[in-house]
Amino acid sequence: MQTFSLLMDGFGVALQPMNLFYALLGSILGTAIGILPGIGPALTIALLLPVTITVAPTSAFIMFAGVLYGAMYGGSTTSILINTPGEAGSMMTALEGNKMARSGRGAAALATAAIGSFVAGTIATILLTFAAPAVAEIAFYFRPADYFALTVLAFTSMAVVMGTSRVRGFIALFIGLALGTIGIDEMSGQPRLTFGVSALLDGMELTVVLVSLFAVGEILYVASRYRSNSDALIPIKGQAWMTKEDWKRSWKPWLRGTALGFPMGALPAGGSEIPTMLSYTLERKLSKHPEEFGHGAIEGVAGPEAANNAAAAGILIPLLTLGLPTSATAAVLLAAFQNYGLQPGPFLFTSNPQLVWGLIASLYVGNVMLLVLNLPLAGIWVKLLAIPRPQLYAGILVFATIGIWGVSGSVVDLLCMVVIGLAGYVMRVYDFPIAPVLIGLILGPMAEVQLRTALAAGQGNPAVLVSTPLSAILLTIAMLFLLVPILLKRLKASA
Amino acid sequence: MPNNLHDVPVTAQAGGGGIAAPRPFWLAAIVIALGCVCLYAAFGLPQGARYAGIGPGLFVTVAGAGLVVLGLILMVQIARGERFQAQDAEDASGSEKSDWPAFFTALAAALVPVLTMQAIGLPITAMLSFTLVARSFGSRKTLMDLVYGAIVGVVAWVLFTRLGLQLGGFLPIAGF
Amino acid sequence: MRFRKALLPLAVIASLASGAAHAQVNVMLPANPGGGWDGTGRQAFQALNDAGIFTEGVNFTNTGGAGGTIGLAEFQGAQTGKADALAVFGAITVGSIILNSSPINLADFRPVARLTAEYLVIAVAENSPYTTLEELVAGLKADTGANAIGGGSAGGVDHIALALLAQAADIPVVDLNYIPQASGAETVTGVVNGTLAAGISGISEFQQFADQGRIRILGVTAAERKEGLDVPTFKEAGYDVEVANWRGILGAPGMPDDNYAVWVDRFAQLNDSPAWTTVLKTQGWDQFFLPGAEFGTFIADENARIGAILKDAGLAQ
Repeated sequence: MQTFSLLMDGFGVALQPMNLFYALLGSILGTAIGILPGIGPALTIALLLPVTITVAPTSAFIMFAGVLYGAMYGGSTTSILINTPGEAGSMMTALEGNKMARSGRGAAALATAAIGSFVAGTIATILLTFAAPAVAEIAFYFRPADYFALTVLAFTSMAVVMGTSRVRGFIALFIGLALGTIGIDEMSGQPRLTFGVSALLDGMELTVVLVSLFAVGEILYVASRYRSNSDALIPIKGQAWMTKEDWKRSWKPWLRGTALGFPMGALPAGGSEIPTMLSYTLERKLSKHPEEFGHGAIEGVAGPEAANNAAAAGILIPLLTLGLPTSATAAVLLAAFQNYGLQPGPFLFTSNPQLVWGLIASLYVGNVMLLVLNLPLAGIWVKLLAIPRPQLYAGILVFATIGIWGVSGSVVDLLCMVVIGLAGYVMRVYDFPIAPVLIGLILGPMAEVQLRTALAAGQGNPAVLVSTPLSAILLTIAMLFLLVPILLKRLKASA
Repeated sequence: MPNNLHDVPVTAQAGGGGIAAPRPFWLAAIVIALGCVCLYAAFGLPQGARYAGIGPGLFVTVAGAGLVVLGLILMVQIARGERFQAQDAEDASGSEKSDWPAFFTALAAALVPVLTMQAIGLPITAMLSFTLVARSFGSRKTLMDLVYGAIVGVVAWVLFTRLGLQLGGFLPIAGF
Repeated sequence: MRFRKALLPLAVIASLASGAAHAQVNVMLPANPGGGWDGTGRQAFQALNDAGIFTEGVNFTNTGGAGGTIGLAEFQGAQTGKADALAVFGAITVGSIILNSSPINLADFRPVARLTAEYLVIAVAENSPYTTLEELVAGLKADTGANAIGGGSAGGVDHIALALLAQAADIPVVDLNYIPQASGAETVTGVVNGTLAAGISGISEFQQFADQGRIRILGVTAAERKEGLDVPTFKEAGYDVEVANWRGILGAPGMPDDNYAVWVDRFAQLNDSPAWTTVLKTQGWDQFFLPGAEFGTFIADENARIGAILKDAGLAQ
């Protein structure tokens, strides 16, 4: 049990008052900045990089870990309360969480998100502590064909749960796919669909689309149909806590979300998007209350939030054990290591055990800290909804604008916000589902790049797409998702 | 998200709600137009590639073609009298009549940053946007809204600029 | 009242953060925070400050995208003729301008100093049949398409290094099966799991994995062997190729001559300062200094060389 004693030494480091203070500071900063749409942990840590000049490495990394987890908590808060997901990872949370908040169960939604994040974060940290080297190896196992199969699985599973009108659902999906092709094509270096606008060369900023469709579209829509009668103010009931029923319905999604999120976070092209989407569809399939989905099902918050946090912890594994940055956040953390003249990887564990184990121990501490911060705060956050509607919606628009402006500083993006916001308005009036647009935008480019990489490496032979056991299995499951409901219908019809 | 089917008769009784025109062919036209834009752009891109087989143009072509086909299907659906039930949101009912002045005020609020963000900075932009949205939701305490908006804008600017975000100057036009 | 209460915690955090200095000099960092160009600009000015060469405030602007062309276009529009406006850029910008038919012309800017370089290495998996660069090139020659090679973005420095290697070995550049990867991490995993026959990337991204015994580095694009990396150069292996991912500083177009001379001098002083030596060491950057007008000639040469190779690769007309 050498790991255990090393971990205990780590706690000795993490629990020093100064380091506790940095963990707290990081958690608060992360939560605060996570609230602003689009400003995620990567940008926040990048902005904090200058502290590496003055702060000791252990303390700095403990703070960064706090930012990383804190931003996840902060992002779920805005998704749930004001329907403004800032990152792809909290998009699925908004779907059910906001419905819950609007029906007076905001505190329960925030609580299941916070506790789910805590559970996922803690399990993931335990896995990080004891199984890191083994988990890290899966990064080398995944090939482009496997990634492609994974995106196909996410696509088809989402398509099945899409909405009432197939045609409108697919229109939304294809609009997302088209948006996803905007910008320089990674494989050939050619600009696509940019029409000479240089601001579009880097593609459509996901934040802009997310914020515009969810927040701006909603503001325009509600403004045009606002019921300004006195009962518009929904009394906030059941603020305090999750009910017994909520607990019963939450714990399994937490665990399943963790199981999905953690390994995918460790993959170079994994990210938090696919695990949160898969978690959402999985919960929807497994739920005993599928009719509640779309109207505020707690499983739809618990699962994706756990998956999101577990994925965030997952990125630390290849970073710490191999020196392999698998996400933007990890790349920034790597830059921070380099600022100290340190190189993460297997040698870091022997050369700087105090730093590594202090950081790992601080993840436990940070998780507890965030839970303590967020559970009581949930009640306060929910009170945001007690702000009179005119000022509440006004505040949402201002924050949406600041998020977009803060990420890019581009007037073109602000104009995109208006245009896409208008589209969001039209989609609400004519009942087009919103989520498929974002799924197309997020998964389309991933699927395309991995498909083309797989084919190029296999010199155009399509058999390469099922050449690994994993890709064959995933593609089979994806096909079953599509075909089984149709077959069942046929069988029923002929019976 | 999906609506319950049994909402439809209610809407019919309410006189069609906000959707006055029962046949919004323009919706399908927009979808087809978007598809054509993609197809036009894809036309100038190579569809194939040396080793992958799939070139940079293929996905654009697929997206464009898909939109055109789906637009045509939607056109047929509309011609057959497809119903569009506006989504129910909190604070808003799909069957409510559209309040166009309020809509355009909110739209103006979203447009304000495009015009003013660079020139007169975030705090004043936030103040104007805030007041316009509040107004579109029926708030008539314009002075208070201006004050609230200014507070939100100034606090957000100070906070996030200190954290290192680039939010532009406080009042660029005056040189701050 | 509730509204103001909600803002209170934000105000508390605001007081936690420190203030920003008053700015006189505008520096464009045409990349997102945290990356190489961002680091180059910020570290260089920190070192200028530490060495006492230039201690006044600096205002950094990050505008990322498209190999720096978006940031430089903005810089040109806003800062032309200004006395104290500088921008960071590098080898990748040269290719990106050509690839994206960007309206920017690097000759319009005033070349202040080339500062650093990172050399590239080519590597194969530890269990690869290729043990030397010559063997890899022979394999490429025998079946170019079957040996997929990964690296950074299409038309980027990695791609150009491979194209130059192919040219030196009489392999048609258009035949190369070059697969751009989204990140160095994906190149490494692709090489290790056999998707890619070889990968090209900066030394810092590969060395770690060579030390772990996962990949084998076959060659480096530097003029001489690197300290701490026992690997032959491309030249030693018989291919006359020398490429670096260099980074430097540009002055605004039309910067007055007096100011220009001052900035060239300041960066020359920086290059000799111990503060800068420390930065180079911790960041793992190679010193690659070239001042003023000579740097201008170098940029023009790179422009011609990269333009020609992109044409050969079928990426530019």
